[in-house]
Amino acid sequence: MDFFILSFAVTNGLLLGGIYGGVALGLSLIFGVLRVVNFAHGSFLMLSLYISFWLWSIFGLDPYLSALINIPAMFMLGFAVQALIISPLIKRESALVVEPLSALLLTAGIFLVLDNAALMAFGPDVRAVQTSYYMPSLMLGGIPVNSQRLIGAVAAVIVAAALSWWLRTSHLGRSIRATAQNRDAAAMSGINVPFVYAVTFGIGCGILGLFGALMSTFIPISPSIGLSFGIKSFIVVVLGGLGSIPGCIIGGIVIGVFEAVASQFVTATSAAIGSLALFVLILIFRPAGIMGRA
Amino acid sequence: MSSPALEIKDLHAGYGDAKILRGVTLSLPPRSLVALVGANGAGKTTLLRTISGLLKKSGGAIALGGETIDGLPPHRVVEAGFVQSPEGKQLFHGMSILENLMVGAHTERARARRKETLEEVFELFPILAERQHKPASALSGGQQQMVAVGRALMALPRVLALDEPSLGLAPIMVDRLFEAISKIRERDLAILVIEQNVFQVLEMADYGYVLENGKVSMQGSGQELLANDHLRETYLGL
Ligand SMILES: Nc1ncnc2c1ncn2[C@@H]1O[C@H](COP(=O)(O)OP(=O)(O)O)[C@@H](O)[C@H]1O
Ligand SMILES: [Mg+2]
Repeated sequence: MDFFILSFAVTNGLLLGGIYGGVALGLSLIFGVLRVVNFAHGSFLMLSLYISFWLWSIFGLDPYLSALINIPAMFMLGFAVQALIISPLIKRESALVVEPLSALLLTAGIFLVLDNAALMAFGPDVRAVQTSYYMPSLMLGGIPVNSQRLIGAVAAVIVAAALSWWLRTSHLGRSIRATAQNRDAAAMSGINVPFVYAVTFGIGCGILGLFGALMSTFIPISPSIGLSFGIKSFIVVVLGGLGSIPGCIIGGIVIGVFEAVASQFVTATSAAIGSLALFVLILIFRPAGIMGRA
Repeated sequence: MSSPALEIKDLHAGYGDAKILRGVTLSLPPRSLVALVGANGAGKTTLLRTISGLLKKSGGAIALGGETIDGLPPHRVVEAGFVQSPEGKQLFHGMSILENLMVGAHTERARARRKETLEEVFELFPILAERQHKPASALSGGQQQMVAVGRALMALPRVLALDEPSLGLAPIMVDRLFEAISKIRERDLAILVIEQNVFQVLEMADYGYVLENGKVSMQGSGQELLANDHLRETYLGL
């Protein structure tokens, strides 16, 4: 194997992996706080990709600028989904036993509704966004680096760091962590738990708003694009350690690099299957994930 | 005459079909210390969870300082002035002592005074000041209980409820805790203490209630209850 091709594959895998990690952040945060596996995570990314696509195709808005609209729109959507759809379920369960399965079924329902609504509204066509300017590849150490993906990966690291910092230092961040650690004790300390849940869900979706905008510049957009990213996010979150923010980025990079390198030797499909095998293997040795505390 | 700090009338609550509280009536005068005793499973914790709004009542009325708190969500109950240090401490184990205390000062009223209140809590439990940056999980049981009580105080309660604060503590720690409770009494609040240490709590209480099968079976001043034969037999083994 040629060293140049290998380093190219690793570089690409790092970038793609960072983006996987960034996309998975919201899933990890929502699980960490609400203990709800959001099966519709990929569908929210799909919606966000369409937001940037339509803003570009109707109004000619630059996809990077569309993040300014995309992020608050996705935040509000996430907030509303939690407050109006998921919250009543959690409220009902709080008196009895918490059943993660019913929350999973509910979010699976949201996934079906969103994906099918997108198919009806937008049709099955694959769309693409073109920036009005040309974004040349950068040469880093003799290796060509796709600048759109580089922006995405750098954004993932920045968002992960900013999110951890905010959760550690801000008043609302501390309330979110308290709620994640002990919901009843948080409520008995005066924290408005349903509000914290809705904000958390909103932030999880707001991050997707950013990545939808960034990824619209290089991802073919279709109504079914969400599921594969949703499943990948799930793998990344479990691999990195449930609820761990740095684990999310690391898990993403492990999957991204593995896929990129493996696809140099076998077909992309086999590489994807191989990454599932890697996933199982790592969990055998570290059941709580790479950064997870057992 | 001023209205009671906490007044509960004919309260009914439970879990699904299991009726636990069947008409509890009790009252805390302002600045009083009231003891609530009763066997395991009598419904004491259930009563506090119902007042806190974590559990829906099926009947009755709850008022704080003469104002109803019926149907308020838990965070509004804290705003209204009822704060409990829950059974089993329920600390935020991933956080430092200081952070645990800061979470307690969540309401606007409490946040505005949190520096002063923190100093008061540290004065009450000096060991917490010393170890404020240690994770809550690194503390002994007694120190964790201090954090739990301190966190409740940080919310500036008008009514403070302590659910078995001495549970699982070494005798010397139990004594220190009761000392702290008598100091907390000097503050402008009413205190409801649930205890297994029936003798110790009734000794210091202005008034006491005995809960049996979800109902108040006996009540009276601490001394009256301590002199009661049924209570001495059942709870003091005398
Ligand atoms: N979450 C719950 N679900 C169902 N039953 C409960 C629950 N919590 C407590 N109980 C029952 O309610 C009764 C009263 O419990 P509790 O209020 O904890 O008593 P106490 O605090 O006086 O020991 C017990 O019979 C207990 O088994
Ligand atoms: Mg109890």
